[in-house]
Amino acid sequence: MIQENIIDKSKDFTLLELLDRVLNKGVVISGDIVISIADVDLVYVGLKILLTSVETMQQRQLMMVKPNRNISN
Amino acid sequence: MEKLIYAIVQPLTDVYAINLLLSGIPGVSETNLYALFYNDIAVVVSDGVILNEFVKKEMAIDFARVIESLSQQLTLLPVRFDSLLPSDAEATRLLSQNYTAFRNNLDNVKNKFEFGLKVLWDYEKGIEKVKINMESANENTNNCITSSSIHANYLLKKIKENKLDNALRDYIEQLKKEFVHDIAIINPEYNFNKMITANLILDGVFLVDKSKKYEFIQAVGNFKKNHTELHFLLTGPWPPYSFVVCPMV
Amino acid sequence: MNESKILLNSVPIDDYGQAIEKMGNSVSSRINATPENADHGLAKLVITLVELIRKLMEKQAIRRVEGGTLSDNEIERLGETLMKLEMKMDEMKKLFNLTDDDLNLNLGPLGDLM
Repeated sequence: MIQENIIDKSKDFTLLELLDRVLNKGVVISGDIVISIADVDLVYVGLKILLTSVETMQQRQLMMVKPNRNISN
Repeated sequence: MEKLIYAIVQPLTDVYAINLLLSGIPGVSETNLYALFYNDIAVVVSDGVILNEFVKKEMAIDFARVIESLSQQLTLLPVRFDSLLPSDAEATRLLSQNYTAFRNNLDNVKNKFEFGLKVLWDYEKGIEKVKINMESANENTNNCITSSSIHANYLLKKIKENKLDNALRDYIEQLKKEFVHDIAIINPEYNFNKMITANLILDGVFLVDKSKKYEFIQAVGNFKKNHTELHFLLTGPWPPYSFVVCPMV
Repeated sequence: MNESKILLNSVPIDDYGQAIEKMGNSVSSRINATPENADHGLAKLVITLVELIRKLMEKQAIRRVEGGTLSDNEIERLGETLMKLEMKMDEMKKLFNLTDDDLNLNLGPLGDLM
């Protein structure tokens, strides 16, 4: 029983390691819309970092304001 | 059609070979992977799946699986999950505009793995030790406050906490230094995140030459032997997620 | 696939707790983002910045006190101010359901805020 638990927890842990990498690391590619809002690189970089780490929703909304996307709000 | 971007890769010399490789790996939500080329690099993409506000954990895991499979065969820079570009042309433009940066990064991670090392401890026990060391180091700490009102005591408490914080930070710095010294011969690029919880005191990533994998694991094992009070979790090998230093593109 | 990524593991089961929680938070804030918690994100950002300034003030005050140049009266007032500030912050954190761990920003290549 305990043995099972250990396996589960360490599995959780490595799954989180994996997700942390996939979601928070690697090359960052922005939507083109974001660039056209703020064409000053530094401002844009700072903004993007804040948005991705505090709350991705705003960023997603920015990404969704693309002509070929239907959004209701 | 929007494209989901997976990775920047240094392609096999043979376009046929890379297409064969990609045909064997399903993309996120069963999409087909394909490569777009520019000079000697390429970007792996699939048709964009709908990533609305509810991104499924499974999609991220699928995405990671693609990167994992690719990294067995190719040198690559993982792209953060959830990166969409409007078209193939835009994806190719991404390569051409950032060619030098991608090229340099690919060279840097070539034949290397990433390892993650987390060091945990029992906070109560650990901090007690740090406290004892600290107190033996400086006896007469607080003669700057003579009053014993609530507010003065509050400040005194803050001063003590601050001292303990500093001592803890010194302890962790020392630990890092020691480990870095132990792996000096392997000479990996590395990065430490700051302490993120009370019981997680070290969180590092290391970019290790593939040929030195076992040496690195061995070094961690030795370090562990010298620190029986600490707990270790070593994971890897990972694709080089944490060692991409591209400007944001 | 995940099990095979563990090369060495000496972590006793109970000690995963906080670390898992913390990592889980950082992951789920990206995965489970909804319009409802977008508000929460803004509150978090604002309170984080206020907390940063409060901490800087506290550090500065500690330095002054340790310097030993303040009178008893000054120490008294400084202590009172900082104590009240901290209590106010605790109220705010409770109000927005934030923990101390939440009040840190990962500034990417710049490291953590606090």
